[in-house]
Amino acid sequence: MKRTMKYIASLLLVAVVVYNSVYFKKLNEVKAEAAGFNAANYAREFWNKKLPEHTGKAIEIGQLLALFQTDKEKAFADYSHALGIGNVKYFLVKGSGIVQSVDENQVSVRIESEKEKPEVFIATEYVFGNAVRDASGEIDINEFTNSMDFNNVSAEINKIIRQKVIPPFRAQVKKGDRISFSGAIELNKEHLSTRSIEVIPIDLRIIKE
Amino acid sequence: MRFKYPYSIALILVFFGVALIRCKTRQSADEPKKIAIVVSTLNNPWFVFLAERAAAKAKELGYESKVFDSQNNTSLETDHFENAISSGYDAVLFNPTDADGSVVNVKNATAAGVPVFCMDREINSNEAATSQILSDSYSGCVTIAKYFAETLNKKGKYVELLGLVGDNNTWNRSKGFHSVVDQYPGLKMVAQQSADFERNKAMEVLESILQANPDIDAVFCGNDAMAMGAYQALVASGKAEKVKVFGFDGAEDVVKSIQEGKIMATGMQFPEIMAQTAATMADEYFRGERDFPKKMPVAVEIVKKDNVENYAAYGKK
Repeated sequence: MKRTMKYIASLLLVAVVVYNSVYFKKLNEVKAEAAGFNAANYAREFWNKKLPEHTGKAIEIGQLLALFQTDKEKAFADYSHALGIGNVKYFLVKGSGIVQSVDENQVSVRIESEKEKPEVFIATEYVFGNAVRDASGEIDINEFTNSMDFNNVSAEINKIIRQKVIPPFRAQVKKGDRISFSGAIELNKEHLSTRSIEVIPIDLRIIKE
Repeated sequence: MRFKYPYSIALILVFFGVALIRCKTRQSADEPKKIAIVVSTLNNPWFVFLAERAAAKAKELGYESKVFDSQNNTSLETDHFENAISSGYDAVLFNPTDADGSVVNVKNATAAGVPVFCMDREINSNEAATSQILSDSYSGCVTIAKYFAETLNKKGKYVELLGLVGDNNTWNRSKGFHSVVDQYPGLKMVAQQSADFERNKAMEVLESILQANPDIDAVFCGNDAMAMGAYQALVASGKAEKVKVFGFDGAEDVVKSIQEGKIMATGMQFPEIMAQTAATMADEYFRGERDFPKKMPVAVEIVKKDNVENYAAYGKK
C-alpha cells in the first residue's frame, strides 16, 4: 500500500514537471514572434492608409508663412506636430508653383499663393529624418517597445519616398514647369527661419497645361 | 511566572510595532521629500551640468536632494540605489551606467515604491522606470550625417570614433549616422573604433589610425570630448586644416571651436531640459500623478558655422 502511494506520488510529480516543461504553439505564431516588428510593413500601412487622411488637410505653404508673421504661436499650435520636448517641429504642407531650377540635390520652386510667395526647395537627394513620420501626429513613440523600431519606421518611409515619389518626378521635371506638391517641413520654433524651407515630398505632380 | 513568556513576546511586538510606525512616519508633513540624483560619472562636465541642474530644480520645487557618482561602475550604482532606498529617498533621478546592467537597480527601486526617472541615457526595459527622458540621439545623428554627406559632397574616406560600447546612446548615434552615410558608396569608412567617450583616448586612437590611413577626409565622433581629442591628434599631425571633425553633445569647447572653424558641427543636447523635466515629473508623482509617458524624447539640434550664434554650451543662449 505504502509502495503504491509512493508510485502514485512519483508519477504525479513527473506529470507536473512534464506538463510545465513542454509547450505546444502554432508554427505561424512562433514565426511571427521570431520575425518581430516589421518596420517596412508598418511604414507601407502608414503611407497607404493613414498618411493620405492627413495630407488632405495640410495647410497651404503660403498661408502658413503669412500666419507666422501675424501669429507664430497659433501657427505652431494649430499646424505643427513633434514627439516629446524641443524646438524642432514638423508641418504637413501643400502648394503649387513654378520650377526655378533643377539641381543635383533639390528642385527650387517659386510658390504661387494668395498669401506669401516664397521660393522653397523640394528635396530630391537628402531624404532623411523624421519629418514625414512625425508631421501627421499619427504615430506615438510609446506604442513602440524598442526605440530602434521607431527609428526604422522613419527610414522605411524615407525609402518609399526615394524609390516611388522622386524618380518619376525627377525624370521629367524641368525649369519653368508648374508643379503641385504635398510634403513635410521641419522648422525650429525658437530660431525660426523661413529663408530656405526644404520640403520632404509626399506627392509630386507636374501640371500639364 | 506562567504569563512571563507571552508578555515578553507582546512587549517585543509592541517595540517593533512602534519602530515600524516610526519608520513609516519618519518623514512628517513638515519634512521635505528627498530626491536621489544618481549619475553615471562626474568626470565628464556634461554629466556634472546634468546633475547640478537636476539638484537646482529639485531645490526650487522644495525638495532635498543628493548627487551620487557611479563612476561608470554598475556595481557602485547598485550600492547607491540600495543606500537611497534604505535611507528613505522618495524618488531617483537617474542617469544609468549601462542599458542592460542598470535595469535591475531601477526594478528594485520601483518594487520598493521609489519612482525612477531616467535622464539622457536609456535602459533596456519599457516597464521598469516610471519615465525615461531621453535625447533623440538617433535623429540628431541623422541630421549631422546629412550635413556630413553634403560637406564631403558624398565622397571621401572617414573614421568613426564610438563611445562606450555598453551604452545605447553609442549605438543610437552610430546607427543614425550610418542610416544616411551608408546610402553613399563614395563615402568609405576606413576605421571604426571605440574611445569610450574620452578625450585622451580619442586622441591616442586617432593618432594610431592616422598612421595606417594618413589620407582621411573626416572624423565622426560619438561625443564632443572625443571630437576635441580627435582635433588635437589632427593638429599634432598637421592635418587639422584638411580633415573635417564632427561631434555630438553641445559642449562648451566644441561650440567655441565651431565658431573658430575648427570643428564642423555638433548635435546640441539639452541637459537642463532633461534634468528639469525629470525633477518636475518627480514632483507630479509626489502630488499623485501616475500617468507618465514611458519615453519622452528631447529633440537634438545641429550646431554649425551658420547657426552657432544661436547656441551656447549645453543649450540655447
